Amino acid sequence: MTDRGARSLAFAGAAALLALAVAPGLRVQAASPSQAPTPVAVGDPSPVVYPPPTLPLAFDHARHAQRGVTCQRCHAAAVKSLSAKDSLLPTEDTCRPCHDIDRAQPAKVVAPGKPAARCDSCHPGFMPPPGDAGRFAAPPGVVIPTAALKFNHKLHAERGMACALCHAGVENVGLATTAEMPKMALCLGCHDGKQATARCAACHVTLPDGRLRTAFPTGALAPSGSLRGNDAHTAAFRTEHKVAGRDERYCATCHKQSECMDCHGAGVVKPADFHPGDYATLHAVDAKRNNPNCASCHRNQTFCLGCHQRLGVAADPEGGQLGRQPNNPFGTGTAVKRFHPPGWVRDETGMVLQTPTPASHSFQARRNIRACVSCHREESCLNCHSADPARSMGANPHWPGFGSSAACRAMASRNARACLKCHAPGAPELSCN
Amino acid sequence: MGSAGAGTSGQRSSRAGAGLPARARRWTCALLLGAALAAGPGAARAYDFVLTSRTIGQGYAERRYGAGGGSELLTRRRLTQYLNLSVFGIEPDHWHGPDADRNLISFEVAMRFDGDFGTYLTRRPSSPDAIGELQQSQVDILYAYLLARDVGGHLDVQLGRQLHYDLVDFYSFDGVDAQAHIGRFVTAQAFAGTEVRGDMPLSAPIYELDGTSSGSRDPATRPEQSSAWRPMVGAALALGDTLRSWPAELRVAYRKAFSDTVDPRPGDPGSGVNHESVSMTADARFRDRLFLSAGARYNLLVAAWDDQQASLRWRIGARHALSAEYSYLAPTFDGDSIWNIFAAGAYRDLRASYDVELTARWRAHVRGFYRLFVDPPGTPAALADAMPGGHDAYGGNAGVELRTVRGRARADGYAEGGAGGWKVGGDLSAYWNIRPNLFDVEGRLTATAWRSDDVPQPQDAFMVGGGLGCVYHLGRKMRVHFLGEDNSGTYYRAQVRGLAILEMDVTL
Repeated sequence: MTDRGARSLAFAGAAALLALAVAPGLRVQAASPSQAPTPVAVGDPSPVVYPPPTLPLAFDHARHAQRGVTCQRCHAAAVKSLSAKDSLLPTEDTCRPCHDIDRAQPAKVVAPGKPAARCDSCHPGFMPPPGDAGRFAAPPGVVIPTAALKFNHKLHAERGMACALCHAGVENVGLATTAEMPKMALCLGCHDGKQATARCAACHVTLPDGRLRTAFPTGALAPSGSLRGNDAHTAAFRTEHKVAGRDERYCATCHKQSECMDCHGAGVVKPADFHPGDYATLHAVDAKRNNPNCASCHRNQTFCLGCHQRLGVAADPEGGQLGRQPNNPFGTGTAVKRFHPPGWVRDETGMVLQTPTPASHSFQARRNIRACVSCHREESCLNCHSADPARSMGANPHWPGFGSSAACRAMASRNARACLKCHAPGAPELSCN
Repeated sequence: MGSAGAGTSGQRSSRAGAGLPARARRWTCALLLGAALAAGPGAARAYDFVLTSRTIGQGYAERRYGAGGGSELLTRRRLTQYLNLSVFGIEPDHWHGPDADRNLISFEVAMRFDGDFGTYLTRRPSSPDAIGELQQSQVDILYAYLLARDVGGHLDVQLGRQLHYDLVDFYSFDGVDAQAHIGRFVTAQAFAGTEVRGDMPLSAPIYELDGTSSGSRDPATRPEQSSAWRPMVGAALALGDTLRSWPAELRVAYRKAFSDTVDPRPGDPGSGVNHESVSMTADARFRDRLFLSAGARYNLLVAAWDDQQASLRWRIGARHALSAEYSYLAPTFDGDSIWNIFAAGAYRDLRASYDVELTARWRAHVRGFYRLFVDPPGTPAALADAMPGGHDAYGGNAGVELRTVRGRARADGYAEGGAGGWKVGGDLSAYWNIRPNLFDVEGRLTATAWRSDDVPQPQDAFMVGGGLGCVYHLGRKMRVHFLGEDNSGTYYRAQVRGLAILEMDVTL
């Protein structure tokens, strides 16, 4: 790379880092302050549950509260509301008892100390010419999308819950936005399964089959981590959800098991964020290092072995057309062996190795036998490790001390069939002494 | 004995339950009949149905090593059909109770047909050359169960083919599972059935333990044992519930699968255990900020702990979260497998991650891992030190993601090294809704370089690739998805992959 190229790269990198550093302070900017939805900041309630409203208004809750205006005086419908779909906004008629509004006088001046009556005192920038009220252009509309919740204000009010319990801080702000809406953690203070139901579907919108609806026009509803920590659906959640997925009943609140099986059932479409393109070529590195991870979706002896045999990576050592080919690229028992390195089983003279070396198979097999079984069946091992002298040389695969170990006794007592694949019935080794 | 080995593979490759004759078919028919009766409109009630269909066609090529050391491409053509049916609202409305949350009865079934066509190394193998492990044109019932939830407010009962999981276990069986909720904090569970295995009719081997192979032709491996039924029983007791007012939960579970010996020989035991374990999981939370989870499984078959997990997640404010995980994994196999002897090594993993919400739309994460290979007892240190890659592996990745109402985009980079080789790479991907409910596009660029050690000498390679796709919404619940991908690098100038998916949801 040239010096100029290096400088350009360094500059681009610095710019990217600067952008990342500045980004946390950014808020979503509205295209037009009067027409665009209210910005949502980190820490605000979910914009999926509470879609950002469009509030082209000038209103001061704090000032009204200071003058003793109660919540119910403007939002009288709230205490009777049965659904989150109800509109609880006050209308102009609600304002008129205090604000001497006259549509024929958009710029009406009131006595000092009296509540304003000009149109633009509540609708910033809206000042139609004087005339008949019916000919007025409408002020910019207030849009408060329906919350993606089930909520019964009436029920909560009847139980004596004050408005400020859920809408804390609204008495100190000007315009109320989604920031003054309750978060789930607050709800769970009462909805704990004892004072009130803890069922998710009690508040969240559900699909016909009872699962929570997660797809909304404003985005996808997903756990933030406030409930269980590891359930936060972070950018890496699809690959790292073992801890979060420990509770199948909790997952089933939103997901069908078929979604699990898209991947864990050796799904046929690889998720793009799991494997890069042409992963079939790259996977050898992971198979050696990360095989436990592979096994969470793939059964080695069907998914891996079947494909390896089909592609000729693994030969069928016990017969079959692929294994019988004299020039099978990876054929066991043939002159061409490229998959395993020299010294894998035999030394340069062709003798079977008696002492393990870093390059021999025994060490690799003990460290990561899952990689071996993606190509080999048990018979590959039995060819040398069986205790049957008629079949093999009897190389002992047991680790030192195995014969008197609890593992030996456990295996022999619970399933001696595995032992009898190598040992003869009644052999003294089976007693684990 | 000898003839059994030679003939079994061919029989299995034809699947159709040759190893499980009349009894298997009777059970399958009974299960399907029960499901049909449960789902069928036997009474004059309007059940609710959701039918989901997904048809996937793929065409691509895979590399094989040519006889002269070069690469050859073998074509693949796959057709996969998923069909899921949910029936709910089976119960009368007056069963629901005052909170509408009791006696909920539903039926769920998921089926898959997977046809894998394309070219072979020389010709399509057939019996006795068939690859027993390679499933072709197979129909599977992934699950099919009748679920009665909150019966009387205290009992969940699930009947049929089902799968279950927790932190340290994952299994599937045909049978019945019952969970009784005793008071607010105690749940008792018991289940019984037969393990779902690939050699059963309409069954996939995906939840079957590794260790034995239905494709084996060697009589010494006892391939006939693959056809045996495996009864599975288990029980669990759980205390507390993190969803409710207790900040902690503890669960203890026991599971056992066993089978009779098929065609016993002199000296054979009458039966054997295929899996037996006791597992424990625990969760706790503190002030909704600190979350702890732990689990461990003791495998009674090999008298050893084969899975241990512990994790901690700390939420810092509304924007930051730190996680740390520890795990210990010792590979274990089916009780019929000799590999429980060979697998003497284990893995210890440490993982850490940091997640941050940069803004309401931007998220970023950084992760790292360290894996230590626990060498088998008696391994000379000098030998282990000389292994390619050494005792350990390590790596990390970082990414940033943008999510908006109209789409998402992300950039990821990763680097790993140690045992197995090293790899570095990165991805850029985006999904964007061009016209709501009509047309979406997606794209991806990826680049990877790696060195795989020990095959037989280190191999260096790189790959760059790109993909472009679109989703066209044919209707409110009908979509067609096209994706094209091309990769180029050390082994190919071009490797093209095409994919088409048709998705349909029908709610009645």
